[in-house]
Amino acid sequence: MRNRASSHILILLLIVVLTAISHYAIHYGALIRGYETSTMTAFRNIGLLFFLAVLPIFLTRFAKFQGNWTLYTSAILLFSIGLTVQYRLFSDPEYVSKKDKAEARQEKIKTAQMHYIQQYYSAEKKQIMGLPPSPPSEVDLSKETPRPAEDSLFGTLFSGRTLIPLFAIACFIGVIWLFRRDDVLDILQKNGFLLVVLTLVPLLLAAVTSRAGKSIGNMTPWEPAKIPFLIGFAAILSVLYKNLARTYWGIPRAKDVIPLVFMAVLPFFPFFVLKDFGQMMVFSSVYVTLYVIAVRRLPQRFVLVGSVLLLVGVLVVGALPEKTQEKIPLLPTLAKPVKTVLPDRIQQRFHLWLDGFNPPTPETDWWKDDYDDYYKDLVKKDPNLPNLLQEDPNLQKSINVDAWFDILAFQPAQATFGLSSGGTTGRGLGLGYVELIPVSDSDYIYAAIGEELGLFGGLLVTFALITFVAAGVRTALEARDMFSKLCAAGLTAFIGFQALVNMGGITRALPMTGITLPFVSHGGFSLITSFVMLGMLMAFSHRNSVDKQIEAELITQNR
Amino acid sequence: MTLLLFLLQTSWKPETWFGGQVLERTPAGLSIVYLIGVAVLLVLLFLSFLRNVRLKFAFEENLPKEVKRKLSSTVTNRSLKIWQFIFIALALTVYGFHVYWTYYADKNNEQFQALSYKDLRNRRTNAARLRGWMLDRSGKLGSALAFYKVGKDGMVDRTFALEKEMAHILGTERGTPGLERTLYKQEADPMPEAWEILTKIKKPEEEQRDVRVTLDRDLQAFAAQQLQGKKGAIVVINPQNGDVLAMYSNPSFALSEAETLEGYLKLEGDKMNKPLLSRSTREYYVPGSTFKTLTMMSAFRAGQESLMFPDLAAPECYTPFKNSRPICDAGGSCEICSTSVPLREAYKVSSNQYFAQLANALGRTRMGETAQLVGIAPVETPDDALSQGFYPDIWNASNKRIANSIAPIRSTMVTGSKLTLYDFGLEGMGQGLAGQMTPFQMALVAAAAGNLQGNLMKPRIEADIPPQIYAQVLTPDQAAQVREIMSTVTEEAGGTGGVVRSKLSGTGISTGGKTGTAEKQAIVYDQKTGKAKTVTKKRKNENGEMVEYEDIVKYERTDGWFICIAPLENPQVAIAVVVEDIGGKFGGQTAAPIAADVILKARELGLLGEQYKPKTQPTKKKNK
Repeated sequence: MRNRASSHILILLLIVVLTAISHYAIHYGALIRGYETSTMTAFRNIGLLFFLAVLPIFLTRFAKFQGNWTLYTSAILLFSIGLTVQYRLFSDPEYVSKKDKAEARQEKIKTAQMHYIQQYYSAEKKQIMGLPPSPPSEVDLSKETPRPAEDSLFGTLFSGRTLIPLFAIACFIGVIWLFRRDDVLDILQKNGFLLVVLTLVPLLLAAVTSRAGKSIGNMTPWEPAKIPFLIGFAAILSVLYKNLARTYWGIPRAKDVIPLVFMAVLPFFPFFVLKDFGQMMVFSSVYVTLYVIAVRRLPQRFVLVGSVLLLVGVLVVGALPEKTQEKIPLLPTLAKPVKTVLPDRIQQRFHLWLDGFNPPTPETDWWKDDYDDYYKDLVKKDPNLPNLLQEDPNLQKSINVDAWFDILAFQPAQATFGLSSGGTTGRGLGLGYVELIPVSDSDYIYAAIGEELGLFGGLLVTFALITFVAAGVRTALEARDMFSKLCAAGLTAFIGFQALVNMGGITRALPMTGITLPFVSHGGFSLITSFVMLGMLMAFSHRNSVDKQIEAELITQNR
Repeated sequence: MTLLLFLLQTSWKPETWFGGQVLERTPAGLSIVYLIGVAVLLVLLFLSFLRNVRLKFAFEENLPKEVKRKLSSTVTNRSLKIWQFIFIALALTVYGFHVYWTYYADKNNEQFQALSYKDLRNRRTNAARLRGWMLDRSGKLGSALAFYKVGKDGMVDRTFALEKEMAHILGTERGTPGLERTLYKQEADPMPEAWEILTKIKKPEEEQRDVRVTLDRDLQAFAAQQLQGKKGAIVVINPQNGDVLAMYSNPSFALSEAETLEGYLKLEGDKMNKPLLSRSTREYYVPGSTFKTLTMMSAFRAGQESLMFPDLAAPECYTPFKNSRPICDAGGSCEICSTSVPLREAYKVSSNQYFAQLANALGRTRMGETAQLVGIAPVETPDDALSQGFYPDIWNASNKRIANSIAPIRSTMVTGSKLTLYDFGLEGMGQGLAGQMTPFQMALVAAAAGNLQGNLMKPRIEADIPPQIYAQVLTPDQAAQVREIMSTVTEEAGGTGGVVRSKLSGTGISTGGKTGTAEKQAIVYDQKTGKAKTVTKKRKNENGEMVEYEDIVKYERTDGWFICIAPLENPQVAIAVVVEDIGGKFGGQTAAPIAADVILKARELGLLGEQYKPKTQPTKKKNK
């Protein structure tokens, strides 16, 4: 099993087979619950994966690609898991429909009940219930009429769910072709600063115009901007890293430090305005990674790592729940100024992260508005409520708990319950209740994996990710020049950290932020970005092996 | 090849792929196949990656070691490798959190456990799972108490035959659980994992989740009818085996009203009527004279049933000690002034003086012992008396959940040594610090006397479990004597419960009982607003200034009681009836007629035994 395209194609084809099996499991599980899944979509997914499985043939034959296929295969493996879970979710009428959610839910419940009645109720009981009296009998799914899936060839073929992956693949191929050329890399390396500024302008415009962030539906059009930022930073760092080592009394020259800091800070402005804190988290960890890798002096590393840790510490301490703060002397007074500065959204996320099962008091400033709205709705239904509240102070507490778990904590709490119910092997595809978690196709897809495929499924995703990162790191190790080395390391770190931030948010190792799990989550721009990054990594990998061959030829010639 | 294809076509039955049994096996099995397959592929992938040795440039190899270490690419590569390890460690840490939520949160995280009711999955599995049917004591499907029906919208609806009459017993889906949420067999694991579905879950041979309860559907409905327009409670128990035949508290509510949060809050907020409160098991009443039955039982247990009290201190009342307030008979009459009245006569006319003296003569230990034997907790101080919580252990139930769901609050009496003789004397006649009795508890007191063996049977609500003895309270002989004395109240001229005899005349049923009338401090409610009435009063605060404050207005509410057993020679029902706020009337006028009607209904239903069943209406046959 060397790095031959053929063995990877074999693995990829097996992935196609396994995905077909998983899709059938979902189809069958759906029948048990009384609805049909879309056959078109299933074939579309299989077709897409099949295309991706045979793509290496073309790349090796016609594009003479020689890079490391492990990157590709592990990414496609993640992608196939994502497709499976998305198929599960998008075929569920309760998850998809906006208006008839309750009706779809009732229908599922009814199907389960009717199956039970058919199997176990005697004829007399059925008669009392108002059903035709028939003796208990087995359920035969083939004789039932499930709720039909909304299926149309045109709709499936030209939906965003088909076109976006296809576009992503096209981008992927284009990027491989582009980035294996020396001249392209040269231009990029020399114009890093310009690149960043050029990206910044439209991004800032977008940030100013779209207030809440997610402007076009659930999309994040600024997602691809990550790539030029990264290239710019790598370009500057690859020029400056040697100068940084030249210190005067332990301090590097200002003219070396300032551009670097400038480049590092720039991307944070648009993301801060867009309130995309997940991206900020990923960016900072990637920058730290690159800096630590490139800079040699230990003290300089510590300065950076130390200051990042300090910042994170201040954030965490400031957002710690009050109850925890009170346990440590002086902490509440220290945390107060931080608290007033921190945006509401960060405080909410931190509370959910550190103390998510404990609702804040209704007086808490970042929770007050939501609570008041909830309370007003209740009063509308029962005008007597304020009187009751006066008599019974415990009532407010229970309303607060209800409000908390209905509004802010709803999604994370349901996700955690989902993880918990999944156990080791999961509930089985189509047998869990992943449809209860809102947007579990994108941000919360790891929760859906944890529920239906269990700890085992989570472990597979984690290992696929580790394999991908290991392959990416090897690409960086083999890189000949500093720029491509830093680029490769940065891209790998980007995908790796993005996945960790996403998974950590769901498992509550980190605060939840709205970023996607690369390759797995359903997404528009994020999927395209991920595939472009994959393409770049593979281009770098290709360059490495070409370099190696040239070198080998040189050596044989000299002998 | 074609043969193989043909074979595949004929055996294309996905149900049977993983051994049949339940339908869920197919997707569960397939997803495990999927998981294993992906795992194998990942291992293959990783192996291929490891064997694919990293490319190294030749010039790197040939350099001397010292130079190599200083080479910038080597330094960077070393950092990269370290970073890789850090990343793997971080990834595994994140995964560790996943492991925490799946394995440990269930068991160790208390907050997580306490909030599991917020898990919508539970609601979904509960909604999809059909409960068993609740059948009344006849066990016929036709007289089911709780069952399913297909509604107008085609949905399967849980339907209750006695939605309002049994609301407190069934319990709401929102508040504290009742039988509806506890009675039925629980599925071992409502949310099994895939491998459990594959290996453990089999199709059960015969699914029987229906439960037969001891209640009689008609008697329960009848009891509810009797209390219409009144506040109060009725408890009917079979003293011989502990079957609860009927148990009702008014005002009640329809379960459908409590379904929505708003409806529930409305019911909860009705402080004037407290419809959610089960008065039969969870409200304290002053038992009044009915408590004399317990004092009498204590006397029998102590062998002091022939005590008489010839030397009264004050001429007409009992004065326990010098300067004490006297304890007099009701209305200032003097029932035992002749000084040689025996227990039997004193019980019949319900003499307060006699029973106060009897209690003091028996002492706190003996009274406390008897109380304990019928399920009442003897406590040291008045503060303890209100903090004894629920008493599920009184029930004969197949599991703790069921007992908890219908547990009465524990009735208590104070038997501490610090009480004065006056206070304890009052308790002996059912006033003062013995005022924490539930109607359910008083029905048990009657049941203990009504049992032929003198045992208190544990009450039971499930009909298909064997009866259990709670305690031997009296000897069979003593029990017979107690019953005979109880019959004086209802059967003899001059007894306070004479109305029962007149109602039952001609049926051949003789009964025993005890009336009671008791005052309790109660809050005055405004009939229009439903709020507690208050008056503005003034008092001095800490600074000595006069401040105004709102004080709740209270009044002395009179409650009427009646406990009884019937038929006397072999009691099949022990009944306790409480009617709140009867004004100037007595228990014998308000509660006793209701009990008499219940006995008549029980007779008609055949619950008293075949020989008492009215022969004139053979068509109304209900029970075997």
